Amino acid sequence: MSDHHLHHAPAVAPTGLVGMVIAVAAVLAASAYLAGSIRLRLRGDAWPGWRDTCFTAGCAVLVYALLGPLPGGPFTAHMGQHLVLAMIAPVLVVLARPLTLLLRVLPTRLRRTLLAVAHSAPASVLVFPPLAAVLDVGGLWLLYRTSLFASLHHQPLLHAAVHVHVVVSGLLFTFAVCQLDPVRRRWSLACRATALLGAGAAHAVLAKTLYAAPPPGTAFATADLHTGAQLMYYGGDLAEIALAAIIAIQWYAASGRTRTHRQRQGVPRMACS
Amino acid sequence: MSEPAGHALPPSAPEPVLLPGRSLAVCAMIGAALMAAVDEIVFHQILAWHHFFDRSTPAVGLVSDGLLHTAELLGLVAGFVLYADLRRRHALAPAHASAGLFLGSGGFQLFDGIVDHKVLRLHQVRYGVDLVVYDLVWNGAALALLAVGAVLAVRARRKAGS
Repeated sequence: MSDHHLHHAPAVAPTGLVGMVIAVAAVLAASAYLAGSIRLRLRGDAWPGWRDTCFTAGCAVLVYALLGPLPGGPFTAHMGQHLVLAMIAPVLVVLARPLTLLLRVLPTRLRRTLLAVAHSAPASVLVFPPLAAVLDVGGLWLLYRTSLFASLHHQPLLHAAVHVHVVVSGLLFTFAVCQLDPVRRRWSLACRATALLGAGAAHAVLAKTLYAAPPPGTAFATADLHTGAQLMYYGGDLAEIALAAIIAIQWYAASGRTRTHRQRQGVPRMACS
Repeated sequence: MSEPAGHALPPSAPEPVLLPGRSLAVCAMIGAALMAAVDEIVFHQILAWHHFFDRSTPAVGLVSDGLLHTAELLGLVAGFVLYADLRRRHALAPAHASAGLFLGSGGFQLFDGIVDHKVLRLHQVRYGVDLVVYDLVWNGAALALLAVGAVLAVRARRKAGS
């Protein structure tokens, strides 16, 4: 295989227009979040400071991944960027409960509109955890196991769409699995854990197939491909542990509350055990 | 809130009830997940005996590996939080818990040695060596862990019964 076959774009970070637009949106979102939480506190409401830190950090890593230099060969750098955009930034942003904050600070009319959107049928369908998992990881399978990845090089619009999809579907999946913000339908722990298991497995298998073969129509140096695939595999593990820990801590807190409640109500002791 | 305060039970915790079966199951889950973590950290990363990818792995092997790998991580998190819950309820039966730890780790090791390495051929214990010895030691260690777990489980049961 001759060297000119190793084409490096579209693997590298787009310092282009889309990256810029997403980065500016992230900076604006962080400013709006901080303004909102400060307003809430001035009003006398409690809003933990660590949520501000989480949201700001999520936006900051997003901006860095889009604009900053990333280590490794082209495929590894692409994977590192993917890891931040689709997994790390969404976890930090979702932990900060942005929808809850928005609902608290918006004026009544806007709040009603937002609530209507959040509780609408399409939104409820989108945050069904298994569907969110399919939209997220299914999109990755399309990207890496069809000729889509190779064609990004020639089609800037498609490239833009893929970038936006990676960020939005990562946010959607994290939002659906964590279920920290108010939505109309609350899904059970089992449903969310199963969606996480399925998504994690599909992600791990995809990473292993990338280790064996690059996306169709592209060629990367073997070492770069292997590092990138392993980064995807183990990076996915980290994201999965983070999501699992969030769900597990929710369960721990909720079951503790239920037990205290039962004891107060004087349910027979055997039933508590 | 509708009840008068006098009817509520005193705030003292209810008498703790030990849950031996649950203690054993939760610790078995932790044991299996810990053994999987040892496999990943020691044999994949530090020693680099296990390979990340083996070209002779069939597709079904890859899928089962993805599922199992993910389940291990979820099991680790779930195991620890369920353990914390048992401690919080003062329901942990320590003897059953240690039996579960051995049974879980031995069970995972045996599954890994037989199903992952041999049936699904995900990867071998080590490459470029005579595998028989390695496989015997690998699965022998698994059986030893299982045997310790079984002895501990029987003893825990007798102790609980007496």
